[in-house]
Amino acid sequence: MNYRPERLLIEKPVAENRLVQRILAALQDVPVDWVDRLKDDPTSRNGKVLEIVKFQGRFIKPCPGTRFYTCCGYQILNLGVQCFLGCTYCILQAYFPNPNLRLFGNLEDMWQQLEEHLQSSPRRVHRIGTGEFTDSLLLDPLTRMTEDLVPFFAAQPNAVLELKTKTTQVDLLESLDHRGHTIVAWSLNPSSLIASEEAATATLEERLEAARRCQEWGYRLAFHFDPLLVYPDWQNGYSEVVDQLSSAVDPGDIAWISLGTLRFMPSLKPIIRQNHPRSTILEEEFIPGLDGKMRYFRDLRVEMYGYLSRMLRNWHKDLCIYLCMESNDIWRESLGFDPAECGGLSDILDGQALP
Amino acid sequence: MPTTEFGSIQFAEVDWNDAVCLITYGPLPDKLFLSIKAVGLLQIPLLQRKENGLLRIICGSRRLAVCRELGLQPLLCQILPDSLPLHTCLRMAIYDNLAHRRLNPVEKSLALTKMADHMDKSEVIEEFMSPLDLEPSVVLLERYEKLAQLEPFVLDALASGRLNERVAFALTPLEQTDRLALFQLFEELPFSVSVEEELVEMVVEIGRRQGIGPAEVINLREIRKVRAADTKPARQRAQDIRRHLQALRSPRLTARKERFAKEVRDLKLPAGVRLVPPPHFEGPRWNLECTFESGDELAARLRHLTKLADRRKFQRIMKSLC
Repeated sequence: MNYRPERLLIEKPVAENRLVQRILAALQDVPVDWVDRLKDDPTSRNGKVLEIVKFQGRFIKPCPGTRFYTCCGYQILNLGVQCFLGCTYCILQAYFPNPNLRLFGNLEDMWQQLEEHLQSSPRRVHRIGTGEFTDSLLLDPLTRMTEDLVPFFAAQPNAVLELKTKTTQVDLLESLDHRGHTIVAWSLNPSSLIASEEAATATLEERLEAARRCQEWGYRLAFHFDPLLVYPDWQNGYSEVVDQLSSAVDPGDIAWISLGTLRFMPSLKPIIRQNHPRSTILEEEFIPGLDGKMRYFRDLRVEMYGYLSRMLRNWHKDLCIYLCMESNDIWRESLGFDPAECGGLSDILDGQALP
Repeated sequence: MPTTEFGSIQFAEVDWNDAVCLITYGPLPDKLFLSIKAVGLLQIPLLQRKENGLLRIICGSRRLAVCRELGLQPLLCQILPDSLPLHTCLRMAIYDNLAHRRLNPVEKSLALTKMADHMDKSEVIEEFMSPLDLEPSVVLLERYEKLAQLEPFVLDALASGRLNERVAFALTPLEQTDRLALFQLFEELPFSVSVEEELVEMVVEIGRRQGIGPAEVINLREIRKVRAADTKPARQRAQDIRRHLQALRSPRLTARKERFAKEVRDLKLPAGVRLVPPPHFEGPRWNLECTFESGDELAARLRHLTKLADRRKFQRIMKSLC
């Protein structure tokens, strides 16, 4: 997965930033275009250009949950956008029509905002992830961001960093002093689905091997069965994933496992059809959810969550399993309890977060 | 305006097959016949002299066609020199039409497609989409470009307004047989534009699920049966077909609706009381509607309803899996 852009497009205001210097040093023979401010130029957008810009917005934000479904209180640290792993269901296709990877170069603003944010609520447990608008480790060999992030979080008494990935790019993590404040997470799907719907990602075996290595280096792990996808033999497919998972890692070091069935904004549908005409994920039965996103019909969601949670609990009964963006009635029917009865989902996960 | 000459032409001089600058599409209007018959040709057509000596029609193709049918020659016309670039002539044709009428979707498609042969897409979008009452966007431009490639039966329906362009866009990516099958269904039964769009999507997705083509979905025995039931009003048959396709597309939801209907019947709710599930059974919000005509009637119904929540049959309805 050696990423090598054809061209770098860099805004001059971030030219002296450490991230830019690192990338320029690593990609010395890649041509660079310097611009004052990146314009919307569709001709530069073929997905093979790496853009580094000055980000004008907030680097840290709450995960955009909705009031209709139970949200876990996650926070997003936004270091860049886009991804080239090409997952058929990926929402980024709709969020960011520009296929170029874009990094935010003004990291001094990011660190300032992050520190202020953590200091502003020191009693709160902060679960912060970088994998919402891109894959957390996709460009790490190039940006080496984990070398800064992991030690930073190690020094925070009230925060954990979750690195969510579908890659195996964990080498830099080995030597870092994480003190249990970084959780490395993989999303999991059956091998056949990875091949058809997540074609450019690491295989299931490779992901689990990377997870095993991280566990060896003392990191706690997380796994996200998200999106769970229905296909004709999904029960066996997901059973095999749980079997492989149970052979690869020690369940005692798993901070949490989330379950979430496929959901997407209606506007993503024609994009999936156009970008991935062979994908079969849209052929299942969907209904518009309370948040306007398309979801599997509730009976199917309950069946999938119930099935997966039973498999996982058979492996290890104390696993912290939660549903991502589901309503209380689905929680009760599939997992047998409503998170509100246990103080709320956010508190449950906060209790799991710190070492 | 480039230099033009006026001259009398014979119809034999016109290259009737040269459509490079023509964007007009549709039958000749009866009122144009009437007008030319009554008062003659009031607006002079514009043509271009070609290298081979024949004349290319730029503006006034319908007027010329009517005059030809009426045998009104020689005919006074404006003639452009052959040195004038094609795109200049095409632009004249488009603006001439834009100035005095609203173009139909096929004509918009022809105008955009033909100009795109001479200009960058971005220039076409900027200059022509707003004047054609279209939102300037590359996606919409590409949709209109594809329209022009559709079969004459679809184009005729589009030009006459029997088929909406949104539905035509949905039909564009289909194979010809599939497009024809859906088109015939829409010609036969009255659906709204949004329902036609929905049906195209449903039929394609049902076909994908079942491993058959959209035309085969339309040709399923149950659909054929509904279409053939011509003792029923067309609107009723259209609704039946939509319901039937929805059941094929969403079998779980349909089964749940049927089960719900049966379970509610078994509950034997008092008259005037209706249990309404959340839309698509999604979310926790159920409704119980109660209508009444007197205080006594309300009291009687409420007495009945207070016991409802404890009944196993009622609790079963609220669960998704049985």
